[in-house]
Amino acid sequence: MRDFQVLGARAPRLDAPAKSTGQAKYADDLTMSGMLHGALLQSPIAHGKILNIDTSKARKLKGVRAVVTAREAGLVKYGVSPARYDETLYCHEKVRYVGDEIAAVAAVDLETALEAVELIKVDYEELPAVFDMFEAMKEGAPQLHAEFPGNVTAEVHQEFGETGALMAQCDLVVDHTFLSKRQDAAFIEPHSCLAVFDLQGKLTLHTSTQVPHYVMRTVAMVLRIPVGDVRVIKPCVGGGFGPKSEATPLEMSACLLSKVTGRPVRMNYTREQVFLHSRARHQFYAEMSLGVKKDGTMLALRNKAVLDGGAYTSFGIATVYYSGSLLGGPYRLQAMKYDGWRAYTNKPACGAQRGHGGVAHRACFEQLLDKTADELGIDPVEMRLKNVMVAGQATINELNMSSLGMKECIEAVRDGSDWKNKKGKLPKGKGIGSACGFFVSGAGYPIYRSDTYHSTVVIKVAEDGGTVTVLTGSAEIGQGSDTMLAMIAAETLGIPLECVRVLSGDTEYSVDLGAYSSRQTLMTGHAAKEAAESVRRQIAEVLSVHMGCDAAHITFRNGNVLFRGGPGDFEKLRQGYIKEHRGWTDPPGGDYLTFREAARLAFLEKGTLVGTGKYKPPRLGGAYKGAAVGTSPAYGCSAQVVEVSVDLETGQVSVDNMTDAHDCGLAINLTSVEGQMQGSLSMGLGECLFEEVKFDSRGRIINASLGEYKIPTALDMPNVKSIVVESNEPNGPYGAKEVGEGAIMPTIPAILNAIYDATGVRINELPVTAERLYMAMKEKEKKP
Amino acid sequence: MLLPRFEYHEPTTLEDALNLLHELGGNARVLAGGTDLLVKMKRKLEKPSHVISVARVPGMDQIIPRNGHAVTIGAGVTAAELARNELVMDRFTPLAIAAGKLGAPPIRNRASIGGNLANARPAADFPPPCMVLNATLKLKSAKGERDIPVNDFFRGPGETVIEPNELLVSLHIETPPPWSGGSYIKLGARKAMEISMVNVAAMITLQSADGPIVDVRIALGAVAPTPVRALAAEDLLVGAIPSEELFRKAGEIGVGMCSPITDHRGTMEYRCMMIEVLTKRCLTEALARAKAWKP
Ligand SMILES: Cc1cc2nc3c(=O)[nH]c(=O)nc-3n(C[C@H](O)[C@H](O)[C@H](O)COP(=O)(O)OP(=O)(O)OC[C@H]3O[C@@H](n4cnc5c(N)ncnc54)[C@H](O)[C@@H]3O)c2cc1C
Repeated sequence: MRDFQVLGARAPRLDAPAKSTGQAKYADDLTMSGMLHGALLQSPIAHGKILNIDTSKARKLKGVRAVVTAREAGLVKYGVSPARYDETLYCHEKVRYVGDEIAAVAAVDLETALEAVELIKVDYEELPAVFDMFEAMKEGAPQLHAEFPGNVTAEVHQEFGETGALMAQCDLVVDHTFLSKRQDAAFIEPHSCLAVFDLQGKLTLHTSTQVPHYVMRTVAMVLRIPVGDVRVIKPCVGGGFGPKSEATPLEMSACLLSKVTGRPVRMNYTREQVFLHSRARHQFYAEMSLGVKKDGTMLALRNKAVLDGGAYTSFGIATVYYSGSLLGGPYRLQAMKYDGWRAYTNKPACGAQRGHGGVAHRACFEQLLDKTADELGIDPVEMRLKNVMVAGQATINELNMSSLGMKECIEAVRDGSDWKNKKGKLPKGKGIGSACGFFVSGAGYPIYRSDTYHSTVVIKVAEDGGTVTVLTGSAEIGQGSDTMLAMIAAETLGIPLECVRVLSGDTEYSVDLGAYSSRQTLMTGHAAKEAAESVRRQIAEVLSVHMGCDAAHITFRNGNVLFRGGPGDFEKLRQGYIKEHRGWTDPPGGDYLTFREAARLAFLEKGTLVGTGKYKPPRLGGAYKGAAVGTSPAYGCSAQVVEVSVDLETGQVSVDNMTDAHDCGLAINLTSVEGQMQGSLSMGLGECLFEEVKFDSRGRIINASLGEYKIPTALDMPNVKSIVVESNEPNGPYGAKEVGEGAIMPTIPAILNAIYDATGVRINELPVTAERLYMAMKEKEKKP
Repeated sequence: MLLPRFEYHEPTTLEDALNLLHELGGNARVLAGGTDLLVKMKRKLEKPSHVISVARVPGMDQIIPRNGHAVTIGAGVTAAELARNELVMDRFTPLAIAAGKLGAPPIRNRASIGGNLANARPAADFPPPCMVLNATLKLKSAKGERDIPVNDFFRGPGETVIEPNELLVSLHIETPPPWSGGSYIKLGARKAMEISMVNVAAMITLQSADGPIVDVRIALGAVAPTPVRALAAEDLLVGAIPSEELFRKAGEIGVGMCSPITDHRGTMEYRCMMIEVLTKRCLTEALARAKAWKP
């Protein structure tokens, strides 16, 4: 039975007052006396040898304080995964894409810094470049990295079960291919940072990041300073969605320039530079075959992937693994074969973005499922229900579904959308489609192989016992993690939410891997719960002596302490508290001893009350190569039904209705869960209908602005019927798991399936612009 | 992105503004809402050494009805104002519709009709409605003034007949006769914040509610270096009894008047097909309004 005082409510966000009044401080709002402004020199060509860099004129410009290149920065290789460190802070021999960093300048103001950047003279020998992933892997293609011949940054070959043999037993095998386009995450706040070395030589970096911990490690490694001398503080962040999950050349440049000049240095990316830095969603090509029995039972899946990685690896190894592993569920399969390649091209590097590696392949698979159902004459929703996994089952690639409300989600959207009265019954031009998906609730392993805790949390109680502070390195980036942690701490301590403060996003507070892979609710949540339990235990122990009541019979609820379920005789303790706070106007009252009095008593006996908590997942996953990618202590899942109208004369698509159900375990804060669901849908809708980063023939981005890179506007996004399905996740704190990324999985295929229903045309390339759909409809008319 | 350095002027009379323009001419740019100019300056596409704001020039932001016969619209009137002005919605409908489709609310609050016309982007939203409404533009300089029919105003992408010392002061539009109606359609990827791939404005005047077409104007945007009138299509329609088939033919002819390009927003082929479809639709909408005309 669930009996929560704080969890499961619609709690106002802790950051709402500051953000809605404009008082919230983002990195660009920070300023320090003596602060310098930095700017980057980035390559204007896509591929070339650097013959010479002449910084003399820039150095002589009035107001310039430092110019740094590879010579000053050194050549420490870094990246995301230690298996593929293929970047240096600045290019030294070669540039590999338009935007590759060559030098940085610090000056007294930004104008001077930008002018100095223009005065740096670089001589290049231009090399042939390759922009297409298929071309890049062909023999004779221009080579980006000597260490990785053939332009293959990573490849995966996995087989689970006997795919070939099972395919032969199938009544029907259906094929599908799919091509998505490179994305930009289009967060509102461009990267911004401020670095400062103090007089002890210790560095503090304020930066707009999702991962203070990894930034700290990378900065320390690249600048060759001890990790302990680097403190990374994340102020308010205006969105990340993945691309802010790694250390940037911007951050490292600011740190280096601060080191060289001894002054604080601030640097920002412009919007165009955000596109150039990228690290957003790859372009994916998918090729699949699904083998089924006549009755719709799925048996085997063959899956092939090619990813356009851009010039460096970034998260790419994980990405190409995810494209395979995340098709292991949520349907039962007896065999699955996966082959994936990630190619280097002379474009900005791609990385992780919401639904990391899974979104395009999920889109292909869910379309394939519909296609198969169509050929079998089965309702696609019924086909999904027939094959769906349930809690307790493991996928064929050994991902353990410890909770899984997939079936409940499908039923919820089926009924919530009135599917049965609409499917097959809508007029031409109107369509309805469905799809499912699931995602990890925290990566099972850190990015660098380590036995580190993924999360630690410290909880401190104020001396008067009235306020509890949660200290954590986790990253509130707008998703609501601070509020979530406050709620868990309040619930565990039995106090009202208002009594909890959260200090987060600082590597000084605790170890936390950060906001990526939808991990903080489960992992940081666990650590917060454990820390709060420790505080609670310490207080109960002190009380047990004073009240002569076994600690096991002392409970905390709504700010009160209960002894064997009742108030107990606590009058002496109350008098003691009031005596200590003589003259104060808020003496504790009421029929119960309050948490405040109890915590004060504990302080008097033990000193400052501090509880710590920690979390790391148990060993997860199989023993095969790459088994780590896709593992998680838990999985969130979702189903969607989308209704569209297609203008048959122009090809324009309007999404009319979206019904979404997500299983997030326990919904700690309902409002935030719905916010994540709706945000995911809008992001998926944009990727499906509008978004594509486009290049000219020389590798320059032609739409590096939010005017020309088209994310959905409020008018493009319908209202969403959000249905929260709650399973009880045994591995989650209070049964909670992810909602940040899983919800995006079904969006694209649900729209595509609805478009098919409306037009009879299957679109297998994104984005579905009016022109693409119109031309496809024309093409179909021509064929009888 | 930083703005380049420039001197800023904020004249408070029309005379001062014209004198400044006379003095500074080619080194100066007029600033209205700034939604084109400041973007270009940040991108270093324009580096004027002087910027002359017309924000405080009296009358620039006014819509003045002329006894029911006509309207004068100040060049500084914003899209937001045009979209909600009842007279404009009622009698100059294509202009009000186009105003309501320009950008998004924050842009509409700043974007002026004068800036839109002077900027002369082939895909801009205001030129086609002004063309089907036969607007006349008043240009003034320290030396005198001239009235230019909007159809003679555009010279090429970004180019108009305005001389460096001239200011576009206002538009003058005669009220369309009884049984007139108009419409405007914009095709873009999203439902807001869009640069048109194709846009169409149309005005139809009928003899009576069920009578033949006595006058019609069709203007197309984003399909040639300047917005164009589909004159041959208009010729087909004048004197005819309106029908769907006729409108379809008009669209077909309209395509012949255009020379759209292929760019990253769309191909020439698709644009051509859309000219046909949207011309037909726009005429159909205009017809419905003409039939429903009320004194
Ligand atoms: C995000 C965004 C979305 C947009 N969406 C659209 C859209 O959907 N449709 C569309 O058509 N446009 C769009 N635009 C472009 C722009 O908003 C419009 O063209 C607007 O009408 C320009 O008016 P303004 O007052 O801002 O002009 P300004 O930027 O102030 O001026 C534009 C040009 O006209 C000149 N000028 C201005 N007033 C006068 C005058 N009185 N006399 C002589 N010269 C003058 C200026 O010197 C300058 O060269 C968009 C712009 C942005 C930034």
